[in-house]
Amino acid sequence: MKKMKWAGIVLAAGLALSVLSGCGGSSKETLNIYSWADNFDADVLAAFEQEFDVRINYDVFANNEDLLAKIKAGGSGYDLIQPSDYMVATMIKQDLLAPLNKDNIPNFEYVSDSYKDPSYDPGNQYSIVYTSGVTGIAYNTKYVKAEIDSWEDLWNPEYEGKVLLLDDNREVIGMALKKAGNSNSSTDESEITSAVDDLKALLPSVLAFDTDNIKQKMIQEEGWIGTVWSGDASYIAKDNPDVAFVVPKEGGTIWSDNYAIPKGAKNQELAEKFINFMLDPENSAKNYESIGYSDPNTKAHEFHSEEYNNDKMINLSEDELSRTEWLGDVGDKLQLYDRFWTELKSGR
Amino acid sequence: MRRWRSSLGLLPVLFWLSLFLVVPMLIVVVISFMGRDEMGNVVFTFQASSYATFFDSLYLGIYWDTIVLSVVTTVLCLLFSYPLAYYIANAGPRMQTWGLALITIPFWINFLIRTYAWVLLLRTQGVVNNLLIQFGWIHEPLQLLYTKGAVLLGMVYTFIPFMVLPIYVALEQMDKRLLEAADDLGATRWKSFWHITLPQTKSGIMTGSVLVYVSTSGMFVVTDILGGAKSAMISNIIQSQFLGARNWPFGAALSVIFVITSLVLIALFNRAMTSKHLAAKEGR
Repeated sequence: MKKMKWAGIVLAAGLALSVLSGCGGSSKETLNIYSWADNFDADVLAAFEQEFDVRINYDVFANNEDLLAKIKAGGSGYDLIQPSDYMVATMIKQDLLAPLNKDNIPNFEYVSDSYKDPSYDPGNQYSIVYTSGVTGIAYNTKYVKAEIDSWEDLWNPEYEGKVLLLDDNREVIGMALKKAGNSNSSTDESEITSAVDDLKALLPSVLAFDTDNIKQKMIQEEGWIGTVWSGDASYIAKDNPDVAFVVPKEGGTIWSDNYAIPKGAKNQELAEKFINFMLDPENSAKNYESIGYSDPNTKAHEFHSEEYNNDKMINLSEDELSRTEWLGDVGDKLQLYDRFWTELKSGR
Repeated sequence: MRRWRSSLGLLPVLFWLSLFLVVPMLIVVVISFMGRDEMGNVVFTFQASSYATFFDSLYLGIYWDTIVLSVVTTVLCLLFSYPLAYYIANAGPRMQTWGLALITIPFWINFLIRTYAWVLLLRTQGVVNNLLIQFGWIHEPLQLLYTKGAVLLGMVYTFIPFMVLPIYVALEQMDKRLLEAADDLGATRWKSFWHITLPQTKSGIMTGSVLVYVSTSGMFVVTDILGGAKSAMISNIIQSQFLGARNWPFGAALSVIFVITSLVLIALFNRAMTSKHLAAKEGR
């Protein structure tokens, strides 16, 4: 008992100390970043800290909804955030983002035209693309012998019990909508209903719903075929060369993560300098080479390795990109999507 | 004066509980009666529609599944834990220390890591399948992972210590002289277990059962990792209401219903246990 008490006191003292030291620290200006885990190359971040004589404080979130909740609550103190496409639209609608001052971001001109002026933020007023990918089909050629070019192929009974789906409401229902030739963000109830009925027929074939660990499930050959992001497919193929990737002929969902600055950020100018620094072609090449996602910087390609430039899953073709669609806001129909998603996830 | 002083020591705990348990719970209750706008913001109106939504075969069904899984997990934990606790409690002091250490050491390892370890064991190219193939007992790997069985296994594995420890404590504190007396009077070992040990360890069984039941019904990680996220439990639904679906009032209403039904079930369980105990006493 006495021991316990001492442990408690030591713990409390340690806690108090860490809080105090958090307040103290250096007098350097701090850039507070809130982003996905491992989203930047550590060396590039260190180079920024050195060049601008600042400190970077990097916190991570697991999904856009966590990000939204934190920013909406206010007082988060973040200067730079990385919402996905649809979340940029939501945050603009809720008046949570500050307009970007492009004078501080001259390197914006290097961003590929395909990612400028996106539907979720016309004119790039509030956001600049960081990286992007497409949801397609990854499949293991060891078990899947047929040629794969359509979402229909997931329904092939030969793959029963070996199909992986993303654990994401809009992605999966959006996929079934695309398969039927509709928009992935349909708000038409009969279209959504028939897409969900279609998915219910697929359920017995589904091994698992997974987003975070779907890569491991493909690498370990537990799943043979599934809906996978292009960037993840590239990661999988490096560990398991039998895995191939295709953007089906019906088209797929395109997503992006972006730079944005929350309204009321303390260091808006520093955040803009950071975006500009990251868009510098050489820094850009170094950063994306390390994290393995697509680099939207047109000038950076000459600095990239041959291996990176030749990776068809990182650098999708114009033809593949032309078949993609952003997820749009579905307004109040989100409730319908959620109900159907619950039905699918519970098998009821 | 002295009494007043001693209860003063309770103040920090009371303050802590009211600030971090009662107040948040009240906020949840308040939100459950509010509305939401198209963006998912909570709107300050009074309505009970979130509760009405729950009474739908979909959500009732999921809740039923949750209760069934929790009860089965509790029963299995009890069946495995009682003999184990009994063995540890009746072993020599050295074995007792070792036994208790073996039960508690897994707690030092992060729960997620232990759950992922099961993935390594059970997956198609995992340890279990590889061994079975090596022995020639099977030719194709079995689908062990991402099944209801894997979920049940994960739950029982995770919560067994919560059952063993209270039962062990009850067995430890038991008056051993009663057993000696029964022995002297010629009772068989089985008889003295049934009439002395079991009734005397009822409190341990009750504590353990409630701990396991409540923890299981609130668990959503195991269903995701070992079940392939295919059999949603009520806690998965609550989580998704607060995040993806952006429907806080419905999530709050589900939480309130969840807390109330759990309390009612536990109260019924306690009542059944204690009344049986009384009946046994009267019968004697």
